[in-house]
Amino acid sequence: MTELVLSVSLHELCQYDELDEQLIVEVVDHGIAQPVAGRNTVDWVFDATSVHWMKKAVRLHTDLEIDWVAVAMVIDLLRRNEALERRNRHFEHQLKRFLDQ
Amino acid sequence: MEFKDYYQILGVQPDADDKAIKTAYRKLARKYHPDMNPDEGAEEKFKEVAEAYEALKDAGRRAEYDELRRYGGRAGGGFEPPPGWQSSAGFGGAGGQHFEGDFSDFFNSIFGGPGGDGHHSRSGRRGQDAEIEMPIFLEETVSETSKLVEYRIPVIENGQMKEVKKSLKVKIPPGVQDGERIRLKGQGGSGMGEGPSGDLYLHIRLVPHPLFDVEGHNLVLTVPLAPWEAALGTKITVPTLTGKINLTIAPNSQAGQRLRIKGKGLSTKTGRGDLFALLKVVMPPSTNSKTTALWQSLSEEADFDPRAQWSN
Repeated sequence: MTELVLSVSLHELCQYDELDEQLIVEVVDHGIAQPVAGRNTVDWVFDATSVHWMKKAVRLHTDLEIDWVAVAMVIDLLRRNEALERRNRHFEHQLKRFLDQ
Repeated sequence: MEFKDYYQILGVQPDADDKAIKTAYRKLARKYHPDMNPDEGAEEKFKEVAEAYEALKDAGRRAEYDELRRYGGRAGGGFEPPPGWQSSAGFGGAGGQHFEGDFSDFFNSIFGGPGGDGHHSRSGRRGQDAEIEMPIFLEETVSETSKLVEYRIPVIENGQMKEVKKSLKVKIPPGVQDGERIRLKGQGGSGMGEGPSGDLYLHIRLVPHPLFDVEGHNLVLTVPLAPWEAALGTKITVPTLTGKINLTIAPNSQAGQRLRIKGKGLSTKTGRGDLFALLKVVMPPSTNSKTTALWQSLSEEADFDPRAQWSN
């Protein structure tokens, strides 16, 4: 059985090619990802979903040369879009049950 | 090796100024960035655009590229850098540059291969992370069994990069939700040198169920009722994810009403969500003279205007 880890520590994240501590602090400061635990920066722990959005944010920041405020807005809209698409699929599905005989 | 016309890739004239190059890059990068554009081929296109910009945004590199373009750009067919070519604006330069992206052979042949900064080259390079979609059936989220995951991943064997098929048994964590991502440590691409392996991220997709809809940790089951069942009440058997249970429908039940069946929903971290029975009144598909007569007498007897709200 494989080790399934639900969280990622700051130290582990800093080993990722595209991330370093300063970038992670920026991402957290702009509310793009929130640590699930850890009072001090060095103790921060993130869930896997946050890591996904964090990497996306850093890519957008470096590749598109957009500032962090704009990145935060884009990520917020992308997340909202993903949630709305999920809700929409759900309602469409449920509506079909009510309309079809 | 194919000569790449970076000006053409960015859609600018060879004498375009820095500002025009930057604008063209930003426009194309926004359009093709894989995080903004999920279309197939967008990522390839983005890489091409990013490479062109990397070459042209720096005055030194651009001058070198222009020189080569004059030398080899018109030749058509294959391109080789001139013998003894050495870039001064690439990695060997004073700045000790490090290119993050993965660029084409053409780019690397001009500006030098992707080098590592000290941090990576001393300790090896961490393997790539992989993310795969993992469809899960609702039944699997409440069972104790583990799920087999199969995926392809690049690994390095005898110094050669190749793709291998891997399979893993994964225990689905209780309370996992649609769209959530879970991490399997060290199951991504293998590292270079002493670098650790990357991780595998599973993007959870709950497969739509023929009977149940998911609302957070709760399930919704649409229950069709005959008009008289809704009027008189009845006892019915309803399916759950793990078996069947009996459900009492109260007299005068209404379409759209939700009945809560505690603890028969999806797993949460601490227990189980609820199952909601959503009532739906269904007319019989056909009538005969006898049932028509009964409806007729009901319509005369019942004092009910379903559109009473309209008259206000």
